[in-house]
Amino acid sequence: MKVLVIEDNPKLLEAIAETLVSEKYVCETALSYPEAHEKIFLYRYDILVVDINLPGGGSGLDIIRKIKAHEPSTGIIVISARNSLENKIEGLELGADDYLTKPFDMAELVARIKALLRRRNFMGSDKISMGNISIDTANREVWVDNNALELTRSEYDILLFFSSNPGRVLTRESIAEHIWGDNMDLADSFDFIYSHIKNLRKKITSKGATDPIKAVYGVGYKFETE
Amino acid sequence: MKLLRRTLIATTLWLIPIMLLGSFFVYFMIEYISHEETDEFLTYEMERLIDYHEKYNNLPEFSTVAEIIPDTKYNKPVFKDTLLLEPGDNEMVPYRELRFSIIHNNTDFAVVLRHLLLGSDDIAEGTIFIIIGLLLAISLSVIILINLVADKIWKPFYATLDRLKSFKITEPLPKFTKSKIDEFETLNLTLGTLLKQLADDYRNNKEFNENASHELQTHLAIIRANTEKLLATNQENEDNIPPITKIHSAASQLSQIQKSLLLLSKISNREYSNISTVDLQSLVKSSLETFAEAISLRNISLDTTLDTCFIDADAGLAGILINNLLKNAVKHNISNGFIRIELNAQCFSVANSGDLFDGDPSAMFERFSKGEKGNTGIGLAIVKQICELYEFHIEYSIKDKNIHKISIFFRN
Repeated sequence: MKVLVIEDNPKLLEAIAETLVSEKYVCETALSYPEAHEKIFLYRYDILVVDINLPGGGSGLDIIRKIKAHEPSTGIIVISARNSLENKIEGLELGADDYLTKPFDMAELVARIKALLRRRNFMGSDKISMGNISIDTANREVWVDNNALELTRSEYDILLFFSSNPGRVLTRESIAEHIWGDNMDLADSFDFIYSHIKNLRKKITSKGATDPIKAVYGVGYKFETE
Repeated sequence: MKLLRRTLIATTLWLIPIMLLGSFFVYFMIEYISHEETDEFLTYEMERLIDYHEKYNNLPEFSTVAEIIPDTKYNKPVFKDTLLLEPGDNEMVPYRELRFSIIHNNTDFAVVLRHLLLGSDDIAEGTIFIIIGLLLAISLSVIILINLVADKIWKPFYATLDRLKSFKITEPLPKFTKSKIDEFETLNLTLGTLLKQLADDYRNNKEFNENASHELQTHLAIIRANTEKLLATNQENEDNIPPITKIHSAASQLSQIQKSLLLLSKISNREYSNISTVDLQSLVKSSLETFAEAISLRNISLDTTLDTCFIDADAGLAGILINNLLKNAVKHNISNGFIRIELNAQCFSVANSGDLFDGDPSAMFERFSKGEKGNTGIGLAIVKQICELYEFHIEYSIKDKNIHKISIFFRN
């Protein structure tokens, strides 16, 4: 899988690139509009992660227009600090597949990229299996061996988020932001995350699987299967 | 009231005292002239009679004067007003009288001349006719003139007014038509300067918000990405974990606060001007779905009475308004508590159980009013700002110290 990350801040670009490389993606970077413009015409990418604000005479939206005309099958994830609805709508209307508002956790970016890849090539790739747990993302169904699990919407979202980031420590904030977005501050007053994880564990172990969710003290959780 | 109508009414009202004063003037003028004319006539008559006497040494005939009284002497002619009974009508009639003396054959004779005067009722009648005639003529010409002239003169003013009414801050500044009238030209110039200032302020504010937001969120993203990395690499080293976690959660909270402040700033900068008719009932229903799991996890009982309600607002802001109120009710609730939601055409209210609270409920709308439990306290400040924008009335009341109720009354 080949990803091009277009972001004008070198430190953020480096952090994103490192994460993607650790996820075994082939990752290339561009810091400005001309650089990105050159790369999309020279090489073929599966996914473009593109910031809207770019130096050098064009915006991320222009890049989206160009790539849609040149290589329409490329998946596009917009990352922007402009939390304005118009920008989001414009980006999605131009053909972007997903929109992520800065700041975001790397775990979230990875989950979005994986979800996009599943949607892009869905022949056979809409099933994820980890140990004896398998997830059918097309039908939102979860199986332990051959037993179906009845999960609530949040429990399913959390499990899918974990499965996109196996072995990575996920903070409570990341999980809260992933399932509630802008309403993540709801988790401040009640330990909703804790309740959801407790229920999720109970459901998984009741079907005979070993508990794959490890608590990392004071931080959050980690998903590990043998 | 329209300017022209107001001008007409004011002008007409001013005509009344003027006409009243005018009628007194006309009345006394007629009276004065009629006296003068009568006196003049009587004086001529007296002179004629004296001449006649000097020429022919003969007293005037009794039939041509009012009276001739022998042995009475006036040193000089005397004018007098008098009332006499007119036998034909049997009423008292005003007369002007002139008495003078003639010496005839060494005897003094007083001659009395009389002439009928205009009665005060006759003068009043004449006055009324004159005034009514004048009033009609003036009113008619005033109405016609004001309509014709004022319409033309005020035309540039109405043109300016139309431009102003349709002006939107996001659109280019309006061009006012030039006027030959100094006051209108000054108005147009002043308005032009003010609007330009306004548009500049709006744009600067907007740009500042966007730039500040972009820079801040990008750097927060770097902090978060790197703390995530530290968390992943420091798992064996437990002492390092708490400070890293604190940095991570402070960074995410900071970005939440910044987003909320940005929203507040955008609302007060009136950047949400995309007004449409919003169906609040379906907004409330979909927002409740978001919180359904949270509500059932805490075993909170939900009681809703939702009638149809449509308001004119920006759809995004209406969504934030409803979402923040419901989130507030869920977030500050207690286990096994309750939420009661009522919506009708005039009012939306959310009541919920919560912790004991003794303070002033209106302080809840202040920014950062509640810092405990990691709450930023901006949610309700945003709600208040949205209500102020749309002139909704908002009330926060607390019953029995632990039942919180927020009601929003829509403008009708």
